[in-house]
Amino acid sequence: MTTPAKQHQILFVDDETDFLETLRALFTAWSKNTWHIEGAASADRALEILKTRAFDLVVVDVNMPVLDGEQFLRILARRYPDLKKAAITGYATEERRAACLASGAELFIEKPRTAEGLKSIFVMLDELVTWKQQPGFQGMLRRVGLPDVIQMECLGRNSSILEVQNRQLSGRIYIEDGWIIHAVAGEATGEAAFQKLLSLAGGGFQLQPFEPPQQRTIEGQWEFLLMEAARVHDESPPAPAIEPEPPSVAETQAATFSVRVAETLICSGDGTLLYQWQCADVNARIALLHEIAQQAARVGELLPLGKFDRLEIQLSAGRAVAQAQPDRLVFVQIATENGN
Amino acid sequence: METDRVNDKLQQWLDRCALATGMFGCSIRLPDGVWISHNFNDLCPPTAFDEILRRLADALSTFSAHGFAPRWLTWTFEKGRLRVARRPDGLLLALASRRDSAAANNLDLFTEDFLTLDLKS
Repeated sequence: MTTPAKQHQILFVDDETDFLETLRALFTAWSKNTWHIEGAASADRALEILKTRAFDLVVVDVNMPVLDGEQFLRILARRYPDLKKAAITGYATEERRAACLASGAELFIEKPRTAEGLKSIFVMLDELVTWKQQPGFQGMLRRVGLPDVIQMECLGRNSSILEVQNRQLSGRIYIEDGWIIHAVAGEATGEAAFQKLLSLAGGGFQLQPFEPPQQRTIEGQWEFLLMEAARVHDESPPAPAIEPEPPSVAETQAATFSVRVAETLICSGDGTLLYQWQCADVNARIALLHEIAQQAARVGELLPLGKFDRLEIQLSAGRAVAQAQPDRLVFVQIATENGN
Repeated sequence: METDRVNDKLQQWLDRCALATGMFGCSIRLPDGVWISHNFNDLCPPTAFDEILRRLADALSTFSAHGFAPRWLTWTFEKGRLRVARRPDGLLLALASRRDSAAANNLDLFTEDFLTLDLKS
């Protein structure tokens, strides 16, 4: 049996979608399918894709709207120092070339106007993607728990599908705009499936882009779903140990830090405590939530921004989210630790 | 003059931010309390924006009193998002954007770039 050749994973970031499609078709053919090409029409879309999969090379259009290529290259260099990067532009100048190389690009190329030009770019990029760096320090640990990831997705009001699997069970949890709307695990659906997936003692999970499920089987706030899952887990006999499965490439790249919930507080709108976990000073935290509500109300008086939704607090080692609504006060703090 | 050069660099940086679709106000406060740039549209008149920035800057101090040292705060409303970030050198960034716009989706990237912007070179 022959082992299939490794496919290089290439991400092109360019707001010209026609150009992207041309590149995808030509470069896939020229590489004899040794390249797998993804396209992103904006920097933020590219970062979303990079969170879900590992890439060997990112090619960035310098002249993108909103966040220009130089800024984006700097961010890539900080977040993914080992990722190879190339800058491409239709308006090459010496100044721009220097700026892109200083921002972390290994290669600066001008957009071609002929098929021959495209072929030379392919050759240059193929050289770059097959070039091997000296082996260096590597090795990461996966210490992020499933409830932590769900919590982060819900707090961030994200839409995604969490694919969970181990050798005994596989399933999916659907999150739309921060709401858990559906879960399926084997034959089970709804909250039963959600509880089953959260009770697994080992296995792996991956975040996938959101697609609407065929049915919606879960309603209610994610905080209470997670609390109920924790309660069921605490009251259940311990699950048999399962041999851990090796992480996927994407997991290995993504799991450079651990995430854990450091504190949770849930109150009714008038400040009556409903639930707290590891909150050192409940009264001080409730006072902070009331102050946040007051600040938000003052801002709302000055700008027609509508109802206050939430405050996100970015800390040096984690973040916190505060919701101060008429019917509830919620504070959740998440701590991150660098795993390197 | 060194201050002028730094201010020009910050001004250019803000001008690029202001181009993002959905950005309706952005500003940087220098450590001496002077706001060097504002960009507005009808939703965000200058007087209201000044007052909001002052309040949000004060809110950063509120968190210190509760034991937090925020790198940045994001206030999300039904129709808009406000971001306030402070650098160790005392520069304070304030961005106001329409919610679910390109500007709002890129607040983290703008902030990250602001926090690491090299003003010495």
